[in-house]
Amino acid sequence: MSDNAESPTETQKDDPSIQHAATEQTGASDEKKKIDVLLKAVGDAPIMKTKKWSVERGRTVQSLAQFISRFLKLEASEQLFIYVNQSFAPSPDQEVGVLFECFGSDGKLVLHYCKSQAWG
Amino acid sequence: MADDKDVLRDVWFGRIPACFTLSPEETTEREAEPYYLLLPRVSYLTLVTDKVKKHFLRVMKAEDVEEMWLEYEGTPLKWHYPIGVLFDLHASNTALPWNVTVHFKNFPEDDLLHCASNSVIEAHFMSCIKEADALKHKGQVINDMQKKDHKQLWMGLQNDKFDQFWAMNRKLMEYPTEEGGFRYIPFRIYQTMSDRPFIQKLFRPVSPEGHTLTLGDLLKELFPAAICAEDEPKRFQVVIHGIEPLLETPIQWLSEHLSHPDNFLHISIIPAPSD
Repeated sequence: MSDNAESPTETQKDDPSIQHAATEQTGASDEKKKIDVLLKAVGDAPIMKTKKWSVERGRTVQSLAQFISRFLKLEASEQLFIYVNQSFAPSPDQEVGVLFECFGSDGKLVLHYCKSQAWG
Repeated sequence: MADDKDVLRDVWFGRIPACFTLSPEETTEREAEPYYLLLPRVSYLTLVTDKVKKHFLRVMKAEDVEEMWLEYEGTPLKWHYPIGVLFDLHASNTALPWNVTVHFKNFPEDDLLHCASNSVIEAHFMSCIKEADALKHKGQVINDMQKKDHKQLWMGLQNDKFDQFWAMNRKLMEYPTEEGGFRYIPFRIYQTMSDRPFIQKLFRPVSPEGHTLTLGDLLKELFPAAICAEDEPKRFQVVIHGIEPLLETPIQWLSEHLSHPDNFLHISIIPAPSD
């Protein structure tokens, strides 16, 4: 993954496994390989300007968290917690594709993120 | 039913005899003796191996010691998987005791999660229970419980207290009678030779026509290779808590009785031994 994600469009060429959902390439979008993720901020976490992302199924929660941290320019010491269903924090090595299969709705997986533990 | 409650106890008290040996790569001040320990199938490695760590630290210099990690025949053992699952998956058909190698350096960052303290294990355990309840009851049962009830589940596991644990866990095993079972069954299917960690999908215990679905039905949909015809030699073993349940077993029953304390039914699919 790239360290130079300055804006949503740049990440397309730096990190093809996470793409801005609205600018998905025609013909290249493989519905089986990528799923739509909607990121929602909780508490004092900064709100992402781009909330909807197209993510490869095999991407882990940890790598998605790292992507969000870099995108929000968080300090290295700042932790990021990711929640599904506003109830549980999936294991860092969990694949987003599995979470989408089990907890997705209306064709997307909604994930809440925050800088401190929200739902224990 | 008295028999079914016995199953719960058998599952909880399942043990695996293990022999821990220090890796020859580690630097020691004197020779390290192997350490023998009975491991609870339903617990987690980092929760039950403090004695192992203390035993080997005695022969090592402090500066040579980082976070302890365990490995079996070259495969790093994920502490966040239940111990019984790791054994069934990697060492099922080998001679006991389970020979595990201990390391204190070169932590494999790509394969293992760190485990700084017991609170990390507790957080992981509770998260699994919440995820399972999200599938079974849309999270309603776990959310209706108080924080002290959650704590009781964890303390029951940590202190090996069957009654304390099940006093709370039985609520997570209930369902509306008219439904015939949970909304979806929390399960994970593991296999060693796979590009993905495990298979987990939505699966209802009752068909739309009202039929009770079985382990065989689950496998037919998610791992058909595990089901072979009568005349074919069996290619895979489907193992739960070290046994091969009959494929006719209702999946709802398996979920209620053979789940781990994390409320997930962990299923290992391993190659059938070739005689």
